[in-house]
Amino acid sequence: MRPLDLDYMLGLVPVLLKYVPLTLAMASVAMVLALILASLMAIVRVMKVPVLDGFTRFFISFFRGTPLLVQLFLFYYGLPQVFSFLTAIDGVTAAVMGLTLHFAAYMAESIRAAIVGVDRSQWEASLSVGMTTAQMMRRIILPQAARVAAPTLVNYFVDMIKSTSLAFTLGVTELMGATQKEAAGSFLYFEAFILVALIYWAIVETLTVLQRRLELHLGKAHAR
Amino acid sequence: MRRLFLAAALLAASTSVSLADTIRVGMSGGYFPFTFVKQDKLQGFEVDFINALVDVTGDEAEFVTMSFSGLIGALESGRIDTIANQITITPEREQKFVFTQPYVIDGAQVVVRKGNEDEIQGPEDLKGRTVAVNLGSNFEQLLRELPYADEIDIKTYESNLEQETALGRVDAFVMDRVSATQVIKETPLPLALAGERFSEIRNALPFRDDEEGRALRDRLDAGITTLKENGTLSEISQKWFGADITE
Repeated sequence: MRPLDLDYMLGLVPVLLKYVPLTLAMASVAMVLALILASLMAIVRVMKVPVLDGFTRFFISFFRGTPLLVQLFLFYYGLPQVFSFLTAIDGVTAAVMGLTLHFAAYMAESIRAAIVGVDRSQWEASLSVGMTTAQMMRRIILPQAARVAAPTLVNYFVDMIKSTSLAFTLGVTELMGATQKEAAGSFLYFEAFILVALIYWAIVETLTVLQRRLELHLGKAHAR
Repeated sequence: MRRLFLAAALLAASTSVSLADTIRVGMSGGYFPFTFVKQDKLQGFEVDFINALVDVTGDEAEFVTMSFSGLIGALESGRIDTIANQITITPEREQKFVFTQPYVIDGAQVVVRKGNEDEIQGPEDLKGRTVAVNLGSNFEQLLRELPYADEIDIKTYESNLEQETALGRVDAFVMDRVSATQVIKETPLPLALAGERFSEIRNALPFRDDEEGRALRDRLDAGITTLKENGTLSEISQKWFGADITE
């Protein structure tokens, strides 16, 4: 057992914290894009839109059926070899794209389940008062589905924050990449990796507190 | 957030229009003491060398860090213009790229955990053992070309192979002698050189084999000649290695 180099760890804290914004930015942008894409796909699946439904099913099947790391490598290293204009895509963009598509496939299924889970009587009641399908979706069904889907979606966001660490394999110096480099220069692996673990943990714990508040807020109308 | 997009936009712009005076130099940033990061500062022999070189030629250098095994692909696809990461001239690489004159002359070295240096004294003692090398490096090639390569269990890594050896997960690693000597001298890892260096290696800057690449190569090659003649290159070498490894 060798003693921990606490001075080194303390010196590393401000260095690594500088990379937290990039990690959060990548995860947030990917989350917003994935939510939009997933909602569209969920509606296509529920409404059984011809052609699009088949395409959506194929998309979800592929992005759930292959590892995220494989998808990232495919976007960043693979496709530019075949389509040279894709070379213009940098590591951050490729990572955000990969995270978006990968998580949208999962989220589409959760959102679809939540929509289908809204009681049939709600659908019938909406249509009987003369709402169009779009109005019914927007005003009655989706708000109820959102409440059901929220905890799962926050969970995906947590997963997404941690998955941004894979971006370092595309040469993006984000939180994990920065840690790797610092460790390779100092050879103090334990200190560097335990520190970065604590930083990710702190981010996720903060998010968990926010999630509880969100659930309370969404649940207000249903409090008995 | 805005800065991120701005950076992304700038990056996209810089890849589509390659400015004549900004040279994008790829390196891993995880290869002590050639290119490494301490307290967020990219530094090392290669960084000093490139900075001195563009001073001479009047260009700007933009350092791009990525995993070592991705560097060659990035050079090919035009994400970067050259690589400063102890790139060894090999016949395979010469078919694809054009090189400057060598700026480092070095050799391959077997490194073992401290205490095993009597048992393993060179590449022929690696038979039946597990050996770590950097993925895509010429040392990987070197090991695979040994007549008894099939008797060696070769494991490839992106980084951290010194740690793997120090922990005893592999019996040895193969790297260049200069870096290995520095790692043993400067870090707390219990490692030792095993025998003498084998196989001479020459490091140079690679460029794409097209008109633009060749023009850039010629310009920087002239710069290297200047750095050798005015002693700057050996100064940088003395600073990082305590010896002149450039001749």
